[in-house]
Amino acid sequence: MSRRVRRDKHSGRKIWVLIVVLVSVFCLIFFAARGRFQAPVANQAVAVVLSPFERGISWVGSQLRYLTSNIWDIATVHEQNKMLRNEVEQLRIQNVQASEFAAENERLRALLGYKQAATQFNLVAAQVVGRESATWTSMIVINRGTRDGIRENMAVVTEKGLVGHVVEADYTTSKVQLILDPRSSVGTLIQRADSRVVGIVEGNLNDPLMPHMVNIPKTADVIEGDIVVTSGFGGIYPKGLVVGTVTSLGMDEGGLLVAATLEPAVDFQRLEDVAVIISSSEAPPDPLEPPAQTPGTETDPKTQLAEQKAAEAASEAPADTDASAGNADANAAGDANNTDASNTVNAANAGNAGTGDAQ
Amino acid sequence: MKGFCLRAALVIILYALQTSLLPLIAWHGQTADLMLLLTSSFGIMRGMRQGSFMGFLAGLLQDLSTGTFFGIHTFSLTLIGTMCGFFSNRVFKEQFFLPILAAVASTLANYFILVLLMVLLGYRFNLVSHMEFMLVPMLVYQLVLAYPVHRFVYALEKHSGEKA
Repeated sequence: MSRRVRRDKHSGRKIWVLIVVLVSVFCLIFFAARGRFQAPVANQAVAVVLSPFERGISWVGSQLRYLTSNIWDIATVHEQNKMLRNEVEQLRIQNVQASEFAAENERLRALLGYKQAATQFNLVAAQVVGRESATWTSMIVINRGTRDGIRENMAVVTEKGLVGHVVEADYTTSKVQLILDPRSSVGTLIQRADSRVVGIVEGNLNDPLMPHMVNIPKTADVIEGDIVVTSGFGGIYPKGLVVGTVTSLGMDEGGLLVAATLEPAVDFQRLEDVAVIISSSEAPPDPLEPPAQTPGTETDPKTQLAEQKAAEAASEAPADTDASAGNADANAAGDANNTDASNTVNAANAGNAGTGDAQ
Repeated sequence: MKGFCLRAALVIILYALQTSLLPLIAWHGQTADLMLLLTSSFGIMRGMRQGSFMGFLAGLLQDLSTGTFFGIHTFSLTLIGTMCGFFSNRVFKEQFFLPILAAVASTLANYFILVLLMVLLGYRFNLVSHMEFMLVPMLVYQLVLAYPVHRFVYALEKHSGEKA
């Protein structure tokens, strides 16, 4: 066996080229991190080339998952059957309780006359076709782009809560920065009515699956188990989206503020389908309906018109003049009552809207 | 030209696998870095020039497609490709332990290069807990996948060499 070691004869020029490239890229990192360098055309070109491969492999992955889950289901069917029987028993008990709660809820709603004010979102469903496996940032690629109305800075959610926002929208795909990303900042507040403490949720490099809520004053009323929702500040995320639950509290590095560790509402390990909020608007209040009127004092315009005609016909007979005036007074009183009732309903609706935001 | 197309297809397919299929078996969000394994294998087999070039391309693809800090992977993978290529003439390329050792060394080197860059960018974190959550699982995945990826790249290179 030969003991000679071959050595490459690298010319000095190639080494210099390599050093220049490395130094250039090193500088580029800092320019790009401060937003002074972007390569949108190259980004789009890469997205166009990669997306069919990612879609194909993602499809194979979903088929594999389907197959393995089926095999697993068959293998564990006996055990599952036992567990399901137990679950059925428990659900029956819960069902009875739920019926009681539903009846109570209905009664209370009828009593208070509240109508739920709900914020309506226009959503576009999307599938996750790529996920960055890098250690330092958390991004996903979804199969919807500008073709489907996706634009930058649109919020991305699942039915469980907030996922992140679109940072780059190409024609067929978009990149979504998760709330776990250390560059992400979400304006949030504590949902509890007697707390409402405001803070910022940021990605946590030490434990990427547990983001931090920072900028909480030392004396703020925040406890473990509090639910954190978006505050709507900043304009990207609509108000009221669930971000996660406070699992622990600790002092920040400076010792002046508290940082809460959150367990996200969304399971980012199993993120497959998401929805992009392409627009959001408050639901319009239901049209006002006049309350039931006492027979004989109706203020319906048709009735009024009929009465007016009757009065005119009667005015021809001088003996009926006093009676017509009496009717007109009664109608005026009825109108005033009606206006008061409308104001009351409006106030109730405004109260509902406020409650909805808080919720 | 045919060799270049073959390698480009290899990079794209491995990258698509890394972003689409490997997350299904991720632990705590961590999976294997196939671009790193590809770069180290390629550097060991083809030398410093081609190793650094492959690292540059793989890193650039990663930076452009994921929207991470632009240039961060280009920089680290170019360095890794160069370092692996530096040892290409000093090792026996068919040894079983070579890709495994190279994978461990390049994963550690890549991790600490990225740590340094993140610190220079102004991010602070607890290195010990970060290594526990990030580096250790990634090393396990790299150890498992290093040999298959290396054999695959080796067979492909041999095949394209014979054709040429």
